[in-house]
Amino acid sequence: MPSTETETRQSYLVFACGSSWYAVPAECAAEVVSFPELTRVPGAPGHLLGVFAHRGEVIPVVDMSLLVSGESEPTRRAVLVRLTRGTLALTASRVAGVSQVDGRLEPLGANGVHLHLRGPARSAQRDVAVIDPEGLFDHLSQGG
Amino acid sequence: MATGSRSITGLLLCRAGDHRVAFAAHEVVTIESPSTFGGLAGSACRAFGGAAGAERILVAASGEAVGVDALEIDPEPLTLLPAPALLGRVAGGSLRGFVQVRGGLWPLMSLVDFGRFLAPSAREAA
Repeated sequence: MPSTETETRQSYLVFACGSSWYAVPAECAAEVVSFPELTRVPGAPGHLLGVFAHRGEVIPVVDMSLLVSGESEPTRRAVLVRLTRGTLALTASRVAGVSQVDGRLEPLGANGVHLHLRGPARSAQRDVAVIDPEGLFDHLSQGG
Repeated sequence: MATGSRSITGLLLCRAGDHRVAFAAHEVVTIESPSTFGGLAGSACRAFGGAAGAERILVAASGEAVGVDALEIDPEPLTLLPAPALLGRVAGGSLRGFVQVRGGLWPLMSLVDFGRFLAPSAREAA
């Protein structure tokens, strides 16, 4: 889990979805992929766009823009986030690369997905929300 | 074969609107038409946000039922890919995994659990 101290020495993969920029710890950002046509999963919430098969694994794709701001951002690119419990793909309309992040890593909200986004933080003159991947995974697993 | 995957034989590959859904054939005791089915069946389309309605009703031994638009039987052994942990609770926990066939991924659902998941919306539609 990210520290709440100002500036960690951790590296982050910085990417955008819609008008917002996000940073995910580089250690769990496995790769950036272009995903094929997705298979919808019955009963899944709208921000869970569907799944695709990647190297023998079924990967769920999460529309970060729809999840965070309620507005869908059509894209075929995603950042694969690999955790011990599984892999998920977070949609990315732009990818800035790996860099350090400066700022505080406090939850950006008291509940919902914003509890698992940290900041305020900046990377290369951009405001970024730092993703707590384990917390986000828990949130999504519970149908959030 | 992916880690944790296993083989499954005998599937009903179904269409629900534009979407795909599969069931293990051994779970289905009868396939009925909506006009003859006397029970309560939820439409698989509802789980994709579509309108209720179905051409065929798949019925489990315990009475749960799911309506689909079209179906075909695939008797070949197929690799069952595990469902991602993230999806463990979708559709009332009825997702059993995925099969890759006919050029696409098909979500394999438990007929009993998926039927129970859809049942409240079936009652609302009645």
